Formats: sequence, structure tokens, C-alpha cells
Amino acid sequence: MNVLPISPEQSSLVILDLLFKLKIKEVMTTTLITAPRGASLRDIQRLMKENGITGVPIAEGRRLFGIVSMDDIITALENGTVDERADRHMATNLVVLEDDMPLSFGISYFDKFRYGRFPVLNRNNELVGILTSRDVSASLLLELFKEYNKLEAQIQPPAPAAGERGRVRRKFPAKRYDFENAGKASHEIKKELTGRGYDPRLIRRVSVAAYEMELNMVVHSEGGALTCLLDPDRVELIAQDHGPGIADVDWAMQEGCTTANEWIKSLGFGAGMGLPNIRRVADEFDIQSTVGVGTTVRAVIRLPPVAPSPAPPQTP
Amino acid sequence: MKFADVAQRLGAEVAHRGSTFDREELHHVMASDLMSDVLVVDRSRLLILTALASDQAIRTADMVGAAGVVVVNGKTLPAHMTRLAAELDVTLLRTRKPKFEACVALRELAAP
Repeated sequence: MNVLPISPEQSSLVILDLLFKLKIKEVMTTTLITAPRGASLRDIQRLMKENGITGVPIAEGRRLFGIVSMDDIITALENGTVDERADRHMATNLVVLEDDMPLSFGISYFDKFRYGRFPVLNRNNELVGILTSRDVSASLLLELFKEYNKLEAQIQPPAPAAGERGRVRRKFPAKRYDFENAGKASHEIKKELTGRGYDPRLIRRVSVAAYEMELNMVVHSEGGALTCLLDPDRVELIAQDHGPGIADVDWAMQEGCTTANEWIKSLGFGAGMGLPNIRRVADEFDIQSTVGVGTTVRAVIRLPPVAPSPAPPQTP
Repeated sequence: MKFADVAQRLGAEVAHRGSTFDREELHHVMASDLMSDVLVVDRSRLLILTALASDQAIRTADMVGAAGVVVVNGKTLPAHMTRLAAELDVTLLRTRKPKFEACVALRELAAP
């Protein structure tokens, strides 16, 4: 039967995010091929053949009465009832979806009921579309491609090391719930500092601040970017996200205060230690947040002068 | 104590042998399943004990400069976790012992 190779429980987080974000009405086919109750099964079989489809909703106007599938046609051919009216043979005990449901719901239906298609009704019980596994795959591919382009656009090539008086500027995108990539930016920053021969304890402070910032954006924000400005005497880290913002910054700055859900906690995060920890390791720290706009966290860690010849990478 | 001592004492298998495996002298152990708590630890020559068998345990070790991670409770290590340990040069061990028992065993090892 028709089983989608996508699971609402086990897919990658980027796909999970899409499955919850996309609504069925954004994915379904809206150009419907239907037949009235009085149509013969032979008419319907022709409709299927002409349009390359395997199921036809029996509807008049926007009112849905039933559905005739390829199986019904085969049965009718076997029983010699193919010239009879559709409403005598259609399935009427229908499983339908609502257009406002998240796509994850639709996918779980494909698993649960093993049908190849589901009629979609709006709030007024009017037939507005049909959802097939093909619609799901096609729209997910399209959305993933869009996400990919969005992320690509956010990546900026690293500025040349000898930019503004030795300043290095790197910007790394951060995406909501993308735990797979959280930490990659911090690792790059750490590598850069290790290569310059800084003290491991200092590198740890910068890495921890950067990592906490990345995690904060992945856990709490709708996405953002981590910028690292590396000057000869300081590292400045700026985490800027585009929402949802923190209503009470003073509360969020307290140890143990968190809005993370159980799922985040099961991944080992969301203990409400992130912001206080960034402040702890930084020489300068500030946070600005506006609900509905976003949050910007800035941390500066001062660097002592290093010997001119680069020291070999050290292990703490 | 060295990684070899830890592995022997915990009956642990070595999923990834980092470049410092033979020479690193481990001075501190942090046992937690909450990486947020590990990130607050400011120690060198650190070993992390955790029941969290995920990439983020390795990433956290990398960030705090820990030398290695021991996954307790005999949790299965996902292949990508072992790959990441190799990429970031973090020694990764796995023991069947529960976290508390592993802590006790390491305490005995450090101060017999």
C-alpha cells in the first residue's frame, strides 16, 4: 500500500519543523477531478485513465458524498457492475482531513489508514482539495529547497584576516531546533583561537559563550545568526535572532529560569543556565529583547597579547 | 588516572581513542545528563560521565575542552556520535555501569 517514507516522530529536525509549520491547505491539490453521484463507474474509470489518477471523489458542488478508488473499479469489472451508478458502489465511510491541520497530521493518516489519498474539507465541511502522498513528497522537496537557499543566503564568506586592522568577522546562521548543527560555529571559533595560541582557559570561555548562544537560538528562537568579531585584543560575540523575544529579561537572566519544554530537556538542554553562563564567562555582557521582534545577546571576552610566533595548538 | 585505567575500572569499551588517550592525566570528573550543567564547569583535564548518547555530549566536551566522554548505562552509541568524537578528537568510552556506580568506581580509582 501507500506508505510515506517520512515519519512525524523520527525524521530530521529540519523536516519535523516543516511538517508542523506547513498546513494541509498549502500542500494539497486544489484542482479537483470529481464526478457526480449519477456518473457510471465506467465514466469514472475513463476519468482515472485520462487524468492518471487512482481515486475520484464523488461530489456535487462542494459537497462530498463518497470516493471511488481503482479497487472499486476492479471489483465492479469483476462483478459486471461497471455501468452502474457511482453512489451505489462508492465508499461512504470516509476518512477526511481538515485544511487547517498541520501536515504532520496528514502524514500520520497515511500510516494509520493506509489509503492513497484523503479528501480535504474546510471548516464548513466543503470539499476544497485532496491530499496524496505525491503532494506531500513534492511539497516537502520544494520547501527543503527553499530552506536550503535561505541558509545558503545567510552564509557569508569569511572576511580576509587582514581586514580592518587585523579584524576577523564571521557570521554563522542558526536555525530553530537544528540540534544537528548547533555547536559547529562555536567549534570554528574555537579552532581559530586555538590556532592563534591563546590560553586554553580563555578559549574555553569564548567557546562556552558561543555555544550557549548557538543553543539558545536553536532551542528558543525562530532562527538567527551568530557573529564573531575577532580583534587582536578582544572577541565579540553577537547572537541576533528574529523572534519571538523575551518578555521578562530579568527573569530569564536568573539561573534555572527556562521556558524549554520536556523534549528539549531530554536532549540535555534547557536548564535555564545559558544566559547566566554567558554572563559568567564574559568580560562585557548585554542583552536586548523585544517581544515579537527578537533578541540580541552580546558578549565580549578580552584577549591578552600573544607571542608573535603562533604557538602550536594546545590541549587543555 | 589515565584513560586506560578508567576503561579497565569501568569495564568500558573504547568507541574512539583520541590522540591524548595514552598521555592525558585526568584530574576531574563531571557526571551529568544535563549538558547545560557541564557547560558551567571550569576545569582542565576533565572527563564527562553522562547517560546522554548524543552528538551534543561530544560537542559539549569539545567546548569545555574535556578530554573524554564516558557514556553510562550501556546506552547504544549512535554511529554519528562516534564519528563526531573522531572528528573533534574526543575520547569516547561506553560502560554498562549506571552513572552512580561509575562515579563510585572512579572515586576509588582516584583515591584508593
